[in-house]
Amino acid sequence: MADRVMECTHLWKTYKPNLIAVKDVYFKIDEGDIKLVFGPSGSGKSTFLRCMAMLTLPDKGDVFLRDECLTKPGVDLNKARARIGFVFQHIYLFRHLSTVGNVELALRRVLKMSKSEARQRAMQALSDVKMEQWANNYPAQLSGGQQQRVGIARAIVRNPDIILLDEPTSALDPELTGEVIDTLRDLAAKGTTMLIVSHEMPFAREVADEMIFYDEGTIVETGTPEQFFTNPQSDRAKKFMTRLILKTKRE
Amino acid sequence: MLTPMLDIGQSLLNGFTFTVELTIIGIFGGLGIGILLAIGDMYGGRLVSALIRVYVEIFRGSPIIVQLFIGQYAIPQLAQFLIVHYGLPSFFLVAMNPYVTIFLVFALNSGAYQKGYIKGAMETVFEDQMMAGLSVGMSKAQTVFFIILPQALRIVIPAWSNEFCSLTKSTSAVALIGFTDLTMAGKDIAGLTYDVIGAYSLVAVIYLGWITLFTKIADVIYEKKKIPGIELSA
Repeated sequence: MADRVMECTHLWKTYKPNLIAVKDVYFKIDEGDIKLVFGPSGSGKSTFLRCMAMLTLPDKGDVFLRDECLTKPGVDLNKARARIGFVFQHIYLFRHLSTVGNVELALRRVLKMSKSEARQRAMQALSDVKMEQWANNYPAQLSGGQQQRVGIARAIVRNPDIILLDEPTSALDPELTGEVIDTLRDLAAKGTTMLIVSHEMPFAREVADEMIFYDEGTIVETGTPEQFFTNPQSDRAKKFMTRLILKTKRE
Repeated sequence: MLTPMLDIGQSLLNGFTFTVELTIIGIFGGLGIGILLAIGDMYGGRLVSALIRVYVEIFRGSPIIVQLFIGQYAIPQLAQFLIVHYGLPSFFLVAMNPYVTIFLVFALNSGAYQKGYIKGAMETVFEDQMMAGLSVGMSKAQTVFFIILPQALRIVIPAWSNEFCSLTKSTSAVALIGFTDLTMAGKDIAGLTYDVIGAYSLVAVIYLGWITLFTKIADVIYEKKKIPGIELSA
């Protein structure tokens, strides 16, 4: 049996006034799993992901990273977050730092590595996402796809236990999406544990072990990609999949 | 003829030196105070934020000359009273020498204005950059120090340069409490030579030169520190 990497139980997050983004959610991901969350806009997927990373603190429920309960009082959340890689929809690179500066900052300041060791690790991570030749460029000098690959390098450079990706391609043009998907494909091939919010259905079908349909703050249905593509169970998932497949075909 | 000319030169030099000291200490002291106040206002909680607002309103809402009078006369009297009646260590009176208080007043006054510029700049970079900093395992303090402040301070340079111009001109208020700055030196020279237009024109040119030099330096720093690919706006 594979080791548990992350788990949440009875997770709740409510925004005022009475907007429930996460409603009593149970979720578990094991070592090497790739799980893909999809669902309508505004259904709370991003909040769920941020609660898992403790970037948004849940109102109720527990989040576990390996054997550590992150919602317990007194837990060092900074240390815990250092073990989780997070990739944002809108990328959020540090604008005043070069590409390599973005990737090595946490190695220096959080993991307290020496300058040379941090630089070496950062260059390796940039090489993994095929961005080493832009190491000295600043974020605003890169295309959206390149920026997102740097975002992925920043997330993987600490060898985190898991990488959470919040719609990593949705802010990109279709032609730039491909290069990010290729990078994620490489990570998948290396056995990286990933929880991805995405609507990239061909990619999901190719790499996801499990797909999760999320709507109105809760997990409505889970299953393999094949199940979702051929026979989704709930009406909501059926309708959503039909729309997604049509959209993908049009593109 | 030569002696009066030397006197005039010496007087201008002394006055100008004092004006430069006041503006440099005021602007950099104010920068340190402004950074602390901006951070305190953003992260210090409601009580700290309310206290900072009171501080800022006091310094922005009263004339600098009034603040100088209070610093120069009222505070030493208060310190004396506290020493005599409540056993305050006499060190405080020594520390309250006239020069220390006026430098302090300018730094505190400028800090109240600079806090607004710095906080505004921090807010423009705050949300996504704080989230990104936390996501890589950095603490809030590390994120502020290594990510938010370096960007905010770049953005704030043009506003900071304006604050310098304003502060330099405000320093002439010290003449009213008996200090000889550049303006007071001009007044002395006008009295000595009976050439009011010449004396004050010379003083104006020196102010203009000093302000132009500093703002040009600030422009160069702004250009050098500009984040590549991003046009910053104040």
